[in-house]
Amino acid sequence: MTTYETVFITAPNLAEDVERSTVESMTAIVSERGGSLIASDRMGRRRLAYPIKKFDDGVYIRLLYDAEPDVPHELERRLRLSDHVLRSLTVRLESDWAKDAKEKAAQAKIRAEQEAKEAAEAAARAAEEGVDAERAESAPDGAKTEEE
Amino acid sequence: MSAEDNRTGSSARPPRSPRFGGRRRFLFRRRKYCKFCESKATWIDYKDLKTLQNYTPERSKILPRRISGTCAKHQRELMRAIKRARMLAFLPFTSD
Repeated sequence: MTTYETVFITAPNLAEDVERSTVESMTAIVSERGGSLIASDRMGRRRLAYPIKKFDDGVYIRLLYDAEPDVPHELERRLRLSDHVLRSLTVRLESDWAKDAKEKAAQAKIRAEQEAKEAAEAAARAAEEGVDAERAESAPDGAKTEEE
Repeated sequence: MSAEDNRTGSSARPPRSPRFGGRRRFLFRRRKYCKFCESKATWIDYKDLKTLQNYTPERSKILPRRISGTCAKHQRELMRAIKRARMLAFLPFTSD
Protein backbone atom coordinates (compact mmCIF):
# COMPACT_ATOMS: atom_id res chain seq x y z
CA MET A 1 0.00 0.00 0.00
CA THR A 2 1.22 3.43 -0.88
CA THR A 3 -0.07 6.80 0.17
CA TYR A 4 -1.22 9.06 -2.61
CA GLU A 5 -2.54 12.56 -2.68
CA THR A 6 -4.75 13.76 -5.51
CA VAL A 7 -5.70 17.38 -5.89
CA PHE A 8 -8.18 18.33 -8.57
CA ILE A 9 -9.84 21.54 -9.62
CA THR A 10 -13.50 21.58 -10.55
CA ALA A 11 -15.31 24.32 -12.43
CA PRO A 12 -16.56 27.08 -10.10
CA ASN A 13 -20.02 27.30 -11.68
CA LEU A 14 -21.18 23.81 -10.65
CA ALA A 15 -24.28 23.34 -8.57
CA GLU A 16 -23.51 22.10 -5.09
CA ASP A 17 -25.01 18.64 -5.62
CA VAL A 18 -23.20 18.17 -8.95
CA GLU A 19 -19.93 18.99 -7.28
CA ARG A 20 -20.68 16.63 -4.41
CA SER A 21 -21.62 13.77 -6.71
CA THR A 22 -18.42 14.32 -8.71
CA VAL A 23 -16.32 14.09 -5.56
CA GLU A 24 -18.28 11.08 -4.35
CA SER A 25 -17.79 9.23 -7.61
CA MET A 26 -14.05 9.80 -7.25
CA THR A 27 -13.89 8.70 -3.62
CA ALA A 28 -15.96 5.64 -4.55
CA ILE A 29 -13.15 4.46 -6.85
CA VAL A 30 -10.76 4.40 -3.91
CA SER A 31 -13.02 2.32 -1.68
CA GLU A 32 -14.18 0.01 -4.50
CA ARG A 33 -10.63 -1.07 -5.20
CA GLY A 34 -9.67 -1.80 -1.64
CA GLY A 35 -8.00 1.49 -0.85
CA SER A 36 -8.67 3.45 2.29
CA LEU A 37 -9.59 7.08 2.07
CA ILE A 38 -7.91 9.14 4.78
CA ALA A 39 -9.12 12.61 3.93
CA SER A 40 -11.43 14.23 1.44
CA ASP A 41 -10.86 17.90 1.86
CA ARG A 42 -12.59 20.73 0.04
CA MET A 43 -9.90 23.39 -0.01
CA GLY A 44 -12.41 25.90 -1.29
CA ARG A 45 -12.79 28.22 -4.19
CA ARG A 46 -9.78 30.26 -5.14
CA ARG A 47 -8.43 32.36 -7.95
CA LEU A 48 -6.33 30.48 -10.50
CA ALA A 49 -2.87 31.84 -11.28
CA TYR A 50 -3.77 31.59 -14.98
CA PRO A 51 -7.07 30.84 -16.71
CA ILE A 52 -7.86 27.16 -17.41
CA LYS A 53 -10.59 26.40 -19.96
CA LYS A 54 -11.56 30.08 -19.75
CA PHE A 55 -12.23 29.87 -16.02
CA ASP A 56 -10.47 32.33 -13.72
CA ASP A 57 -11.58 30.58 -10.52
CA GLY A 58 -11.62 26.97 -9.45
CA VAL A 59 -12.75 24.80 -6.56
CA TYR A 60 -9.87 22.78 -5.14
CA ILE A 61 -10.52 19.33 -3.77
CA ARG A 62 -7.89 17.17 -2.14
CA LEU A 63 -8.03 13.43 -1.57
CA LEU A 64 -5.57 11.58 0.61
CA TYR A 65 -5.65 7.79 0.45
CA ASP A 66 -3.73 4.55 0.91
CA ALA A 67 -4.07 2.26 -2.08
CA GLU A 68 -2.47 -0.02 -4.62
CA PRO A 69 -1.10 1.69 -7.73
CA ASP A 70 -4.12 0.80 -9.90
CA VAL A 71 -6.30 3.21 -7.90
CA PRO A 72 -4.57 6.47 -8.83
CA HIS A 73 -4.32 5.12 -12.36
CA GLU A 74 -8.06 4.66 -12.66
CA LEU A 75 -8.77 7.84 -10.72
CA GLU A 76 -6.66 9.92 -13.07
CA ARG A 77 -8.38 8.38 -16.06
CA ARG A 78 -11.80 9.27 -14.66
CA LEU A 79 -10.71 12.76 -13.72
CA ARG A 80 -9.46 13.31 -17.25
CA LEU A 81 -12.78 12.14 -18.70
CA SER A 82 -14.94 14.23 -16.41
CA ASP A 83 -16.20 17.49 -17.88
CA HIS A 84 -16.39 19.17 -14.48
CA VAL A 85 -12.73 18.73 -13.65
CA LEU A 86 -10.36 21.36 -14.98
CA ARG A 87 -7.06 19.97 -13.76
CA SER A 88 -5.72 17.27 -11.50
CA LEU A 89 -2.44 16.20 -9.97
CA THR A 90 -1.61 12.97 -8.18
CA VAL A 91 1.47 12.68 -6.03
CA ARG A 92 2.89 9.61 -4.32
CA LEU A 93 3.89 10.71 -0.84
CA GLU A 94 7.24 9.65 0.60
CA SER A 95 6.98 7.92 3.95
CA ASP A 96 7.85 10.96 6.11
CA TRP A 97 5.50 13.17 4.19
CA ALA A 98 2.74 10.57 4.27
CA LYS A 99 3.05 10.19 8.03
CA ASP A 100 2.87 13.93 8.53
CA ALA A 101 -0.06 14.32 6.17
CA LYS A 102 -1.96 11.56 7.94
CA GLU A 103 -1.36 13.12 11.33
CA LYS A 104 -2.55 16.45 10.06
CA ALA A 105 -5.62 14.86 8.52
CA ALA A 106 -6.43 13.16 11.84
CA GLN A 107 -6.02 16.44 13.70
CA ALA A 108 -8.19 18.27 11.19
CA LYS A 109 -10.85 15.59 11.62
CA ILE A 110 -10.83 15.97 15.39
CA ARG A 111 -10.94 19.74 15.08
CA ALA A 112 -13.83 19.58 12.62
CA GLU A 113 -15.73 17.26 14.95
CA GLN A 114 -15.10 19.58 17.88
CA GLU A 115 -16.19 22.59 15.89
CA ALA A 116 -19.34 20.82 14.80
CA LYS A 117 -20.02 19.91 18.42
CA GLU A 118 -19.42 23.46 19.58
CA ALA A 119 -21.55 24.83 16.79
CA ALA A 120 -24.34 22.45 17.77
CA GLU A 121 -23.99 23.45 21.42
CA ALA A 122 -23.95 27.12 20.51
CA ALA A 123 -27.03 26.62 18.39
CA ALA A 124 -28.76 24.81 21.24
CA ARG A 125 -27.75 27.57 23.65
CA ALA A 126 -28.92 30.24 21.23
CA ALA A 127 -32.22 28.43 20.88
CA GLU A 128 -32.58 28.25 24.68
CA GLU A 129 -31.66 31.89 25.04
CA GLY A 130 -34.08 32.71 22.28
CA VAL A 131 -36.80 30.94 24.23
CA ASP A 132 -35.74 32.75 27.42
CA ALA A 133 -35.67 36.06 25.63
CA GLU A 134 -39.10 35.39 24.23
CA ARG A 135 -40.33 34.55 27.68
CA ALA A 136 -38.68 37.68 29.09
CA GLU A 137 -40.22 39.73 26.36
CA SER A 138 -43.60 38.20 26.72
CA ALA A 139 -43.55 38.45 30.53
CA PRO A 140 -43.45 42.27 30.81
CA ASP A 141 -46.00 42.44 28.06
CA GLY A 142 -48.14 40.13 30.08
CA ALA A 143 -47.53 42.32 33.15
CA LYS A 144 -48.47 45.37 31.19
CA THR A 145 -51.64 43.83 29.96
CA GLU A 146 -52.47 42.86 33.50
CA GLU A 147 -51.87 46.40 34.62
CA GLU A 148 -54.05 47.67 31.90
CA MET B 1 44.11 57.49 -6.46
CA SER B 2 46.60 55.23 -4.70
CA ALA B 3 45.69 52.21 -2.66
CA GLU B 4 46.79 53.97 0.50
CA ASP B 5 44.45 56.86 -0.17
CA ASN B 6 41.63 54.45 -0.64
CA ARG B 7 42.34 52.68 2.60
CA THR B 8 42.56 55.86 4.64
CA GLY B 9 39.40 57.06 2.97
CA SER B 10 37.48 53.93 3.85
CA SER B 11 38.76 53.85 7.40
CA ALA B 12 37.49 57.39 7.86
CA ARG B 13 34.01 56.29 6.90
CA PRO B 14 31.71 54.93 9.54
CA PRO B 15 31.70 51.13 9.61
CA ARG B 16 28.64 49.16 8.50
CA SER B 17 27.05 52.10 6.78
CA PRO B 18 24.26 50.77 4.55
CA ARG B 19 25.61 52.84 1.65
CA PHE B 20 28.53 50.48 1.20
CA GLY B 21 26.51 47.32 1.02
CA GLY B 22 27.22 46.47 -2.62
CA ARG B 23 30.61 45.16 -3.63
CA ARG B 24 32.86 46.10 -0.76
CA ARG B 25 34.56 42.84 0.07
CA PHE B 26 36.03 44.03 3.33
CA LEU B 27 32.65 44.62 4.86
CA PHE B 28 31.10 41.79 6.77
CA ARG B 29 28.31 40.15 4.81
CA ARG B 30 25.86 37.83 6.50
CA ARG B 31 26.44 34.27 5.45
CA LYS B 32 23.62 32.72 3.46
CA TYR B 33 22.10 29.54 4.80
CA CYS B 34 19.47 27.04 3.73
CA LYS B 35 16.22 27.92 5.46
CA PHE B 36 14.84 24.43 4.90
CA CYS B 37 17.82 22.82 6.65
CA GLU B 38 17.30 25.27 9.50
CA SER B 39 13.70 24.15 9.94
CA LYS B 40 14.70 20.50 9.31
CA ALA B 41 12.22 20.12 6.48
CA THR B 42 12.27 16.66 4.95
CA TRP B 43 9.81 17.60 2.21
CA ILE B 44 8.41 20.77 0.74
CA ASP B 45 4.68 20.96 0.21
CA TYR B 46 3.52 22.17 -3.19
CA LYS B 47 0.36 23.52 -1.53
CA ASP B 48 2.31 25.72 0.87
CA LEU B 49 2.07 28.94 -1.12
CA LYS B 50 3.52 31.21 1.53
CA THR B 51 6.83 29.38 1.40
CA LEU B 52 6.92 28.94 -2.35
CA GLN B 53 6.21 32.58 -3.04
CA ASN B 54 9.42 33.52 -1.23
CA TYR B 55 11.32 31.66 -3.95
CA THR B 56 9.45 32.95 -7.00
CA PRO B 57 10.15 36.66 -7.51
CA GLU B 58 8.12 38.98 -9.76
CA ARG B 59 8.66 37.14 -12.99
CA SER B 60 7.74 33.98 -11.14
CA LYS B 61 11.01 32.31 -12.03
CA ILE B 62 12.59 29.93 -9.55
CA LEU B 63 15.09 31.84 -7.40
CA PRO B 64 18.59 30.43 -8.03
CA ARG B 65 20.58 28.82 -5.28
CA ARG B 66 23.37 31.38 -5.48
CA ILE B 67 20.92 34.03 -4.33
CA SER B 68 18.72 32.19 -1.85
CA GLY B 69 21.51 30.07 -0.35
CA THR B 70 19.33 26.94 -0.37
CA CYS B 71 21.27 23.68 -0.25
CA ALA B 72 21.31 21.42 -3.30
CA LYS B 73 18.94 18.85 -1.84
CA HIS B 74 16.33 21.35 -0.79
CA GLN B 75 16.66 23.36 -3.99
CA ARG B 76 15.75 20.18 -5.84
CA GLU B 77 12.74 19.61 -3.61
CA LEU B 78 11.78 23.25 -3.96
CA MET B 79 11.98 23.05 -7.74
CA ARG B 80 9.70 20.02 -7.70
CA ALA B 81 7.22 21.76 -5.40
CA ILE B 82 7.13 24.92 -7.52
CA LYS B 83 6.60 22.96 -10.71
CA ARG B 84 3.75 21.02 -9.13
CA ALA B 85 2.21 24.23 -7.83
CA ARG B 86 2.34 25.63 -11.34
CA MET B 87 0.46 22.64 -12.72
CA LEU B 88 -2.34 23.29 -10.24
CA ALA B 89 -2.45 27.02 -11.01
CA PHE B 90 -1.30 27.91 -7.50
CA LEU B 91 1.61 29.74 -9.09
CA PRO B 92 1.86 31.24 -12.58
CA PHE B 93 4.27 29.82 -15.13
CA THR B 94 5.09 33.36 -16.07
CA SER B 95 3.87 36.83 -15.30
CA ASP B 96 4.69 40.16 -16.83
